[in-house]
Amino acid sequence: MAEFMELEGQDGVRMAWNVIPGTKQEASNCVVPVSAVYTPIKPFPNMPVLPYAPLRCRNCRSVLNPFSIVDFAAKIWICPFCFQRNHFPPHYASISDENLPAELFPQYTTIEYQSPGEASSIPPVFMFVVDTSIIEEEMAFLKSALSQAIGLLPDNSLVGLITFGTLVHVHELGFNTIPKTYVFKGSKDVSKEQLLEQMNFFLIKPKPPTGVIAGARDGLSSESIARFLLPASDCEFALNSILEELQKDPWPTPVDQRASRCTGTALSIAASLLGACVPGSGARILAFIGGPSTEGPGAIVSKNLSEPIRSHKDLDKDSAPHYHKAVKFYEALAKQLVHQGHVLDLFACALDQVGVAELKVAVERTGGLVVLAESFGHSVFKDSLRRVFRPEDKDLGLSSNGIFEINCSKDIKVQGILGPCASLEKKGPLCSDTIVGQGSTSAWKMCGLDQATSLCLIFEIVKKEIPDATLQSSNNQFYFQFLTYYQHRTGEMRLRVTSLSRRWVAGPGSIQDLIAGFDQEAAAVVMARLVSFKMEIEAEFDPIRWLDKALIHMCSRFGDYQKDSPSSFSLSPRFSIFPQFMFHLRRSQFVQVFNNSPDETAYFRMILNRENVANSVVMIQPSLISYSFQSAPEPALLDVAAIAADRILLLDSYFTIVIFHGSTIAQWRKAGYHNQPEHQAFAQLLQAPRDDADAIIKERFPVPRLVICDQHGSQARFLLAKLNPSSTYNSDSHHPGGDIIFTDDVSFEVFLDHLQRLAVQ
Amino acid sequence: MATPMPSGVPRQPPPQTDNPNFQQKQESLPDDLQKWNPNKPSPFPGSAPTLPPLVRPPPSSSTSAPSQPNSRPGAPPPLVVPGPNVPPNVGSVRPFGPPNGPPSPFRSPSGPPSPFGPPSGPPSPFGTRPPPGSLPSSMGGGPVISPRGSGAPGPGGRPGAFGSSSRNGPPVGVPPPMMVTGRSPGPAPSMGPFVGSPQASPKPGPPTQSAPPFSAPLAAPFGTQTWAPGQVAPPTAAPNAAVQPPRMFGMPPPQPNQPLPAIDQTGASLEDARKINSNQIPRPTTSYSKIQYDTRQGNQANIPPPASCDYIVKDTGNCSPRYMRCTIHQVPCTADLLTNCGMELALMVQPLAPLHPSEEPIPVVDFGEGGPIRCSRCKGYINPFMRFTDHGRQFICNFCGCVGSTPHEYQCNLGPDGRRRDADERPELCRGTVEFVATKDYMMRDPMPAVYFFLIDVSMNAIRTGATAAACAAISQVIADLPEGPRTMLGIATFDSTVHFYNLKRVLHQPLMLIVPDVHDVYIPLETDVVVQLSECRKHIEQLLESIPTMFQDNSTAESAFVAAIKAAFLAIKSSGGKLLVFQSVLPSVGMIALSARDAEGRGNISAGEKEPHKPLQPADKALKTMAIEFAECQVCVDVFTTTQTYVDIASISVIPGTTGGQVYYYYPFSSISDPVKLYNDLRWNITRPQGFEAVMRVRCSQGIDVKEYHGNFCKRIPTDVDLPGIDSDKAIVVTLKHDDKLQDGSECAFQCALLYTTVYGQRRIRVSTLSLPCTRNITNLFRATDLDAQFVCSLKQVANEIPFTPLLQIREQVTNICINKLLAYRKFCTTATTSGQFILPEALKLLPLYTLALTKSTGLQTDVKIDDRSFWINYVSHISTPSAVCLVLPQMIAVHNLDFDKQEENGSAIPPVLPLSSEFVSEEGIYLLENGVNGLIYIGSLVDSNIVRQLFGFSTVEETPTQFALQQYDNPLSKKLNDVVNEIRHQRCSYLRWTLCRKGDASGALFFSYLIEDATPKDGPSYSEFLAHLHRSIQAKMS
Repeated sequence: MAEFMELEGQDGVRMAWNVIPGTKQEASNCVVPVSAVYTPIKPFPNMPVLPYAPLRCRNCRSVLNPFSIVDFAAKIWICPFCFQRNHFPPHYASISDENLPAELFPQYTTIEYQSPGEASSIPPVFMFVVDTSIIEEEMAFLKSALSQAIGLLPDNSLVGLITFGTLVHVHELGFNTIPKTYVFKGSKDVSKEQLLEQMNFFLIKPKPPTGVIAGARDGLSSESIARFLLPASDCEFALNSILEELQKDPWPTPVDQRASRCTGTALSIAASLLGACVPGSGARILAFIGGPSTEGPGAIVSKNLSEPIRSHKDLDKDSAPHYHKAVKFYEALAKQLVHQGHVLDLFACALDQVGVAELKVAVERTGGLVVLAESFGHSVFKDSLRRVFRPEDKDLGLSSNGIFEINCSKDIKVQGILGPCASLEKKGPLCSDTIVGQGSTSAWKMCGLDQATSLCLIFEIVKKEIPDATLQSSNNQFYFQFLTYYQHRTGEMRLRVTSLSRRWVAGPGSIQDLIAGFDQEAAAVVMARLVSFKMEIEAEFDPIRWLDKALIHMCSRFGDYQKDSPSSFSLSPRFSIFPQFMFHLRRSQFVQVFNNSPDETAYFRMILNRENVANSVVMIQPSLISYSFQSAPEPALLDVAAIAADRILLLDSYFTIVIFHGSTIAQWRKAGYHNQPEHQAFAQLLQAPRDDADAIIKERFPVPRLVICDQHGSQARFLLAKLNPSSTYNSDSHHPGGDIIFTDDVSFEVFLDHLQRLAVQ
Repeated sequence: MATPMPSGVPRQPPPQTDNPNFQQKQESLPDDLQKWNPNKPSPFPGSAPTLPPLVRPPPSSSTSAPSQPNSRPGAPPPLVVPGPNVPPNVGSVRPFGPPNGPPSPFRSPSGPPSPFGPPSGPPSPFGTRPPPGSLPSSMGGGPVISPRGSGAPGPGGRPGAFGSSSRNGPPVGVPPPMMVTGRSPGPAPSMGPFVGSPQASPKPGPPTQSAPPFSAPLAAPFGTQTWAPGQVAPPTAAPNAAVQPPRMFGMPPPQPNQPLPAIDQTGASLEDARKINSNQIPRPTTSYSKIQYDTRQGNQANIPPPASCDYIVKDTGNCSPRYMRCTIHQVPCTADLLTNCGMELALMVQPLAPLHPSEEPIPVVDFGEGGPIRCSRCKGYINPFMRFTDHGRQFICNFCGCVGSTPHEYQCNLGPDGRRRDADERPELCRGTVEFVATKDYMMRDPMPAVYFFLIDVSMNAIRTGATAAACAAISQVIADLPEGPRTMLGIATFDSTVHFYNLKRVLHQPLMLIVPDVHDVYIPLETDVVVQLSECRKHIEQLLESIPTMFQDNSTAESAFVAAIKAAFLAIKSSGGKLLVFQSVLPSVGMIALSARDAEGRGNISAGEKEPHKPLQPADKALKTMAIEFAECQVCVDVFTTTQTYVDIASISVIPGTTGGQVYYYYPFSSISDPVKLYNDLRWNITRPQGFEAVMRVRCSQGIDVKEYHGNFCKRIPTDVDLPGIDSDKAIVVTLKHDDKLQDGSECAFQCALLYTTVYGQRRIRVSTLSLPCTRNITNLFRATDLDAQFVCSLKQVANEIPFTPLLQIREQVTNICINKLLAYRKFCTTATTSGQFILPEALKLLPLYTLALTKSTGLQTDVKIDDRSFWINYVSHISTPSAVCLVLPQMIAVHNLDFDKQEENGSAIPPVLPLSSEFVSEEGIYLLENGVNGLIYIGSLVDSNIVRQLFGFSTVEETPTQFALQQYDNPLSKKLNDVVNEIRHQRCSYLRWTLCRKGDASGALFFSYLIEDATPKDGPSYSEFLAHLHRSIQAKMS
C-alpha cells in the first residue's frame, strides 16, 4: 500500500487498479471499475512552476510530457495519446538529451505552467448571504462570527452583503449617507435582467441593446458595481455597522408556523448580482442558513408546522411535495453559477434540517464548501468559518475558476467524474456512453477547488480483445493526462498537468498482476462514491445487495480457494482489508440513512465526494486509537472489544472525533486525580488523546465535531455506533470492563463467514 | 323696429310691435331717459342724487358706464339698470316683508299690464311661502334688459344700484331689475308703472336691505309688462309675506325673484348687445356687512344667503347652509313640477364645513351606551322635526312616518305647543346640526389612529426643480402641526423608479433605507417600523427629511413608479388606514400601471377635429379605479401634490384621490421660488383643517323623495352610503334627488345627512345635519326659492363629470341650454305671454347668465387648455364646496394700485370692492389682483407708476418683474395693505393661492385677460352682453 501512497505523493492520484485490466471483458470482471481519485491542486513542494505556456499536441491538445517520445535530432515529439508528431517551436531549439525542459523530466509527471500576464485583475469576491429568520441567540452568534470573518477578509477582496428572511435585502454598501438596502420579495424569483433593471444598473450606462451583460467590461458601469461590491478595506465599517444593527427578521411568525425564509430567492439574487457584476472571476457566495427555506422557489417545506420536513422515508416514497421542485430550482441555480464561474459555500446551522439535500446540487457542482452544524455558536461552524479566511491555521488553498480536462489513450473512455465539478458538455471520442456522475464530456468546470478537492474519475476500457502478443508486449501502457486550468489564490491563472502511464494486462495470467496493482483503499473509496451516487439517482436501488454482490464477485474472482470449501478461502494481502471496508461501508452513514436526515446524508456524501482517499477511508472505516498506562498509544480494532475500563479510546470518524474514557478512567477523572501532582501520569494519559484530537481537528475542513464522553454515558453512542458489534446483548459472553452493543446487526465475523461461503460457490 | 335694430334679431319685430320701445331709436332713448329721471328721483328720495348719473349712462352706455362703476362702491351699480322696477319689489318687499305696501305699489303698476300677474299665480304661493317678502320681488320679474330699455330702466336701476350705497339709507333693498340691451328705447309707458312702484317701495322699504342693487332683477324697459305681473303677484303674496320674516341677509342676489330686464327682441341683435351698457348688466355685488341668518324663523325654513357672501348662521332648527344647501329651498310636490321648472333638485352637502368664528360650535351629544335615538324603520336620527306624541312616549319619524316608542329614559312631557318641554335644552331637538358620540355599534374596530404617510418623488426632475426639497421642507415644518399624542403615526417613503422606505425605529442609529425595486408587484419591506409613532421618532424623521434632498442630489433616475409607490405606501398603512400624502413631479412611466404621455396626441386645439380629443381626459387604465377602491376599503385617503413642469396625466392620477376622499394639488409649472411656500401652506391646511377618517355618509329624505346619486370624492360600494376614507372641511358632495312619490302641498320635506367618522384624536362621532323645507305646488315659488349658487354648483359638477366623455362644443352648448331652459321655464310659467320681446330674469337667477358664461369660459371648457390643466380642473370641481365653486368660475378682481385705507375700514373689510371681470375696468395705469381660490394673478399695467411697482414688489420697472414670485411685504403702507388684502383673501378661501405676476404683451398677460370672462374672445365665446342677447334670442325662439 505504501507504494500507492508514494504515487499519490508524486501526482495526487490514487487508482483502484494500478495495473489495468486490458479488455472490456476483463475490466467488467474486476467489479471495481478502473478509476482514479485525483487531487488536482494538491500541493507538491518540489513541483516546478514553469513561467511559460505549455507545448500542446497539434492534434489532441495534450501537453508535452515525460511520456512523449522526443526526437532531439529532428526536434520532434510524438504525442503518447494520439501518436501525432509535433515539431518543437523555435524557442525549444536548444533541446537535447542533456538539455531537457522541465516538463520532460521523468520525475515531473506533475507540473504547473503559469503563463505571464494572465493574472486576473479582479480580486476575490465574497458575497455574504445571511439568514435573519433565526432566533435572537443564534443571531448573536452569527453576527459575532461574521464580524470576525469580516475582519479577516483580505483587504483587496470585494465584499457584498445580502440578508434575507421573509424578504431579501441586498445592501448597497457603497451608499454613504444612510444604510440602504434593496428589498426583494422572497416568494418571487427575480431574473438577472429584472434585477439589473430594478437595481438601477443602467442609469449611468444604458443597457446595451443586445449581447450579454457581463461586468464592467460589458454593459455595466463600474460605479454601479461598486455600489454593491466594495473592497473589504473600504466597507468594513459599513459592514460592521449593518451587522451591528442587523435584526432578526421582523415579520411575525404565527405560533403554528415556521419562520418565513426565502433561501432560494436570496441565493438566486446573489448569483444574479455576481453574474452581472463579476462574471468569470473568482467569486464565492457564502450562505449562512439557519433553518429550512419556506418561501419562494427554493422552499423545502411549507410554513405550516404540522407538515414535517421531509425524511428519507418521504423521499423514498416520493411524498416530499417540495423536494423535486426545490432540487430543480437549485439545479438551475447551479447551472447559472457554473456558467458564471462562481461558488456557493453553504454554512448550515440549525437543529433541524435546512435543505442541504436540495442545495447539495448547487454546492457540489460549484465546488463549494459545506459546513453543517447545530448552531452558529458551535465550534464546528465558528472554527470552520475562521479557517476559510485565515490561512495561517491550515491553508485551504481556495482557488477558483478551474477547468479540468482529460486526455487518455484511445482504448480508454471516461464515464464521468464523481466529485465537486460540473460537466462542460464537451463531447469527444473519449466520452463513454455510460455516464457516471458528471459525464459525457472531457472537460469539467470546477468553479471552486482547494488543495483537498479530489475527483473520482471512472474509466471504461473499450478494447475488445487482445490484438496480438507482440503488440501487447511492446505497447502495454495506457496513458492519462489530467489538465487543470485554475485561478490560483494569488490571482494568477495556472495550468497543472499530471501525466500518468499505467501498464495494462490481459489474458489468463494477468490476474496476479491485477492483484498486485490493486489499491484496496482507493477501491473502497470508489465503491463508496459509486454506491452513494447510485443511491441518489437510481430508484429502487438496494445498496446492500449491490455491495454484497460486488464483494462476493470480487472475492470469488480474486480469492484463493477451493470451490465449495469456505474454509479454504483466503485473500491476498492486497485484498485482505477490502471486505472489512465493505463491511463498514455497509454500516456507514453513506449507506445506512436510517438514523440520519436527508440533510445529514447529503452533507456526508458531499464531503465524501470531495475528500482524498485517506480521509475518505476514515469516513468509511473510522480509525480507533487506544490509550492506556500499559502501552503507548496504539491503533485498536474497530470493535466493541476495544473498549476497556482502563483505556481511553480516540475514535476518528472524520465528521466526529470521540474521546472515550473507559469507566475506570472516567471515575478517576471525576475524582480529579489528574489535578494532583502525584498523578501526573494520569493527567498525561488524559491529555494525550486531546492533543491527538486537536492535531486532527487542525488538519481538517470542515472542522470535525469533538465529543468527549465516558463509558456508559449517553454520548458514548457516537463511538458505539461505529464499532463492530462483535459483542451484543445476544452474545454469550463479554469480557469484564468491556461493553456490549444493543444491535441486531451482524458482526464482522458473521459477515466474513457468509462471504466466504458465498465466494466459493 | 326691424330696421333700427341692426343685424340683430329679425324675428322679433312682430312681438315688439307691442312695445313702444321698438319704435324708439337710440336717439330717442335719451329723451325717454330724461323723462324718467324725474320720476325716479321722486320715488327714491335718497337715491335721487345718484340717479342722475345713472340715467345718463344708459343712453350713452359705453361712455358713461365706466366712470360710474368706479365711483360706485363696487360692482353693484353696473348691474342694475332698471331702477324703477327694482326698488319696488325688492327693497320694499323684503325688508318690509310684512308691509304689504310694497306689493301694492307694484300692483298698481303691474295692474295695468295685468296679463301677467295672474298667470304667474304667485299669490297663492306666496302665501304659503314663508318668505313672502321675497315673493313679491320675484314676482316682479324684475326688470328686464331691453336694449333701449337699458336707458330707461337705467334710472330705476341706478337707484337700486346705488342702493348698494343706498342700502344704508334707502330701502334699496333690491329690486332693481336689470337692463341689458341697449337699444330699444325703454318704453315710456312701461317705465311709468315702474316708477310708480319704486315710489311705493321706497316708503315701505326702510333701509333694512343692505342688499345691493345687484340683487335686484334687471328691469327692462319693456319689463314694464313683466313687472306688472310680478307686482301683481306680490300683492297676493303680501299678506303672507308679512308673516315671513324676510331673510336677514338681505343679500340681493338670492333675493326673490326678479324679473330681469330683458333684452328686447328687437334689441336682441348682436349689435344691440354690444351697445348694452355694461354697467347695467347683472353682476354680483359684494356686501361688506355680515349677514345674520337664522335657519328657521317662525317655524319656517328661511332662505339662506348666497354661499359666497359673508354670513353668520344661527342654527334654529335647520342645519346651517354651510353643511347642507338645497338647490331650491322649497320642494316641488311632484316630479312634473320639477321637470317643468328646468331645475335640478339636489343637496350640496359639506358635512365638515368650517364655521364662521362668530357661530356657535356644534353641540356634541352623548346618549351613553344606547347611542342616539333613531327611527326603528329608516334609522333616521333624532332631530327637531321628529314629532313626539302620546305625552312624549312615542315619536313620529319625519322621514318615513314610522311611529316609534321613546326610550323610557328619554321621555319628556310635551308642552302646549306640542313640543317637548325640554326641546330647547336638548340640542338634538332644537338644532339642525348636532354631533353624537358613537357607541361600539358604530365601530367595526377601534377608531383608527391618525396615520400620515408621506411619499416623496425623488426622481431626477423632482430633485432638479427643487420639488423634493420643497416637499421635504414642507413636511418637516408641518410635523409640528400633526395631532399630538401616541396615536399619531407617521411614515415616509420616497420613490423614483423604485420605492424607498425608511425604517424609522428609534433604536437604529439612523434611518435605514429599504428599497422595493419590483415596481410591477410591490410589497412592503417591513411589517412595522416604516410607520412609527411620531412622538418617539421625531428626531429620525427630521433628520431624514433634512437629508433626503442631498441623499438623492445626484439621482439620475428620470423614471417614476408613482403608482407602484402609492400601492406600496398603501400596503404600509393598510392595516390601520390613514392619510397618504404624495408629492409627485413626473409622469408615472414605469412599474404597475405605467402611463404614457397621452397629451402628445391630445394637445392643441380640442376642436381641431381629432376623433376623440377628450380621451386623454379619461383615466388611462381602469386598474387605477380598482386599486383606488381597494385603498378606500382599507380607509386610506390619498392626496396628491403634483409639483411638475410637464404633463403628468392628472386624469389618471386623480382617480385615486377622487375615490379615496382626497384631492389633487397642482403646481404647474412648478417654481422653486414661489411654490414652496404655497406647498407648505397647502400641506399645512390639508393636515390642520377640520377633518375625519374612516367616514361613512348617508343622506335620508322624507318619503316621496329619494336620493338619486352622489357626486364627489368618495368610494361607493353600496347604493345608499358613500365611504369616505378621508373627509375634510373643504370637501363637498352633491346629492341629487328624485321623486318617487308626490308630496303634500304645505307639508315639509326633510333631508338628513349623517356622517359617521373618526376624529384625528380617535373619537368616533356621528354628525347629523337636518334640513326641513316646505313643499310647494307653485312653480313661481320654486323660482323664488331657487338657490343660484347651489344650482350652479350642481350643474357645474355634472358638467365637469361630462367633460371627459363629451366633445367640448357639445358641452358648452349643453351648459348654455341648461341656462336657457331654466330661464325659458321661468318665462313660460311665471311670466306670461305678454312681452315675448322682453328678456326676463328671475331675481334669484339673475346672475345665471353670467355664471353660465363664466363656466363656458372656465378652464374646464375653454378650448386651448392643457390636458392636465383641464383634468385638474375637473378633479378640483368634483369636490369643491359651493362658495369655492362660485369663485373658481367667477374670479374676484380688485384694484390694488390705489388701495386706500379709509375705504376699507369703512367697509369693515380689508378687501376693496370687486371689479367686474371686464377689460373695461382694467387700466394700464393700474395694478389688479384677480383670484379664483386657486390662482392669484396680479396684473401690472404697462403704464403703472414705477414707484408703486417698487413699493409693492421691489422691482423698479414692470419689465423686470418675473412671472413666478413670492409676495413679500416691504416697509411701506401700500405693500402692507396689499399683504393684508392678500392674507384676507387667503383666509377667506382657505387657500394660499398660487401667485403669478402678469404684464401685458406676454403669456402671463394673456392668461390674466383670459379670466376676464365678460370680454368676448375669439375662441371661447361672446362677451357678456352678447351672451345675454344670445340667451334672449334663444328663449324667444323657443317661446315661439
